[in-house]
Amino acid sequence: MLEAAIVIAAVAVGSGLAMIAGLGPGIGEGYAAGKAVEAIGRQPEAENSVRTTMILGQAISESTGIYSLAVALLMIFSFGFPMFNKLMELLG
Amino acid sequence: MEARVLFHISSLPITETVFFTWVIMVLLTLVSIVFTRNLKTIPRGMQNILEVAVDGIENLVHKDMGKRGSGYVPLILTIALFILTANLISIFPGTFAPTQDLNTTAALAIIVFLVAHGSEIRVKGLGPYIKTYFQPYFWMFPINVVGEIAKVLSHAFRLYGNILGGTIIIGILYMFAPYVLPVPLMAWFGLFMGVIQTAVFTLLAVAYIQVRLE
Repeated sequence: MLEAAIVIAAVAVGSGLAMIAGLGPGIGEGYAAGKAVEAIGRQPEAENSVRTTMILGQAISESTGIYSLAVALLMIFSFGFPMFNKLMELLG
Repeated sequence: MEARVLFHISSLPITETVFFTWVIMVLLTLVSIVFTRNLKTIPRGMQNILEVAVDGIENLVHKDMGKRGSGYVPLILTIALFILTANLISIFPGTFAPTQDLNTTAALAIIVFLVAHGSEIRVKGLGPYIKTYFQPYFWMFPINVVGEIAKVLSHAFRLYGNILGGTIIIGILYMFAPYVLPVPLMAWFGLFMGVIQTAVFTLLAVAYIQVRLE
C-alpha cells in the first residue's frame, strides 16, 4: 500500500520536474521571434523567407521541450496509472 | 496512451496504428490513381493541388541537393504526404493518428537514416564513409557515432512528442466539454502543428540526406 503511494507521489513530482525543461524552448523561440520581427522590420519584402525560417527554427528548438513532455507523459501513463489502479484495488 | 489492439489476423494483433496506417495507404493510393487519370496541360481542380505538392517537394529537394537529388523526390514526397495525412486525420473523432505512436515515427526516421547512409556508401564507397566518422580527429569517433544516433532519435521523438502531446491535451479536454472546448485547440494542435511538424520532418529528412551526400 505504502509503496504504491510512494511511487505515485514520485511520479507526480517527477513529471512536474520534467516539465521545467519547457522553459528553454519558451525563451529560445521568443528570442527567435524577436529577431525575426526585427529582420522583417528592416526588410519588409523578405517577410516570407524570414517567417519560414523562423517557424522551422522554432519547431526544431522546440524538440527539447517535447522530449521533457514525452518523459513526463511516459512516466504518468506507464507508472502512474497502473500503480494508481493497483492502489485502488488495495484500498478495495 | 498505447494503441489499442483492434482485432487479430490469425493471432497477429492489429493495433490502431497499423489499422489507420492501412487506411491512409488506401486513401493516398486512391487519390493518386483517381486524380491522375486524364492529366491535362492546363491543370484543373484536384490536379492543381497535386501539382502544388509535387512541385513544392521537387523544388525543395532540388534547391537543397541540386540535380542529383531528383532521385529522392518520390521518397520525400511519400514521407511528407503520409505524415501530413496521418497528422490531419486525428481531427475526426474516433481516429488514431499513426504518428501518435513512437513505432511509426521511429520507423520513418530509420528509413531516412538508412537512405542517407546507404546512398553515401553507394556514392562515396565504404572506405571514405567509414573515414568520415574519424573526422577531424581520430578520437572523435564515439562523438560522431553518438551524433548520428542522436539525429535519428531526435528526428523520431520530435514528431512523436508533438503529435502525442497535442492529442492528449485534446483528449483531456474532451472529458470537460466534449464537442465545444477542444475545437479551437484541435485547430491549433491538429492542423497547424500537424502541418508544421510535417514540414519540419520533411525538411530535416532532406537535410540529413543532403549532409551525408556532401
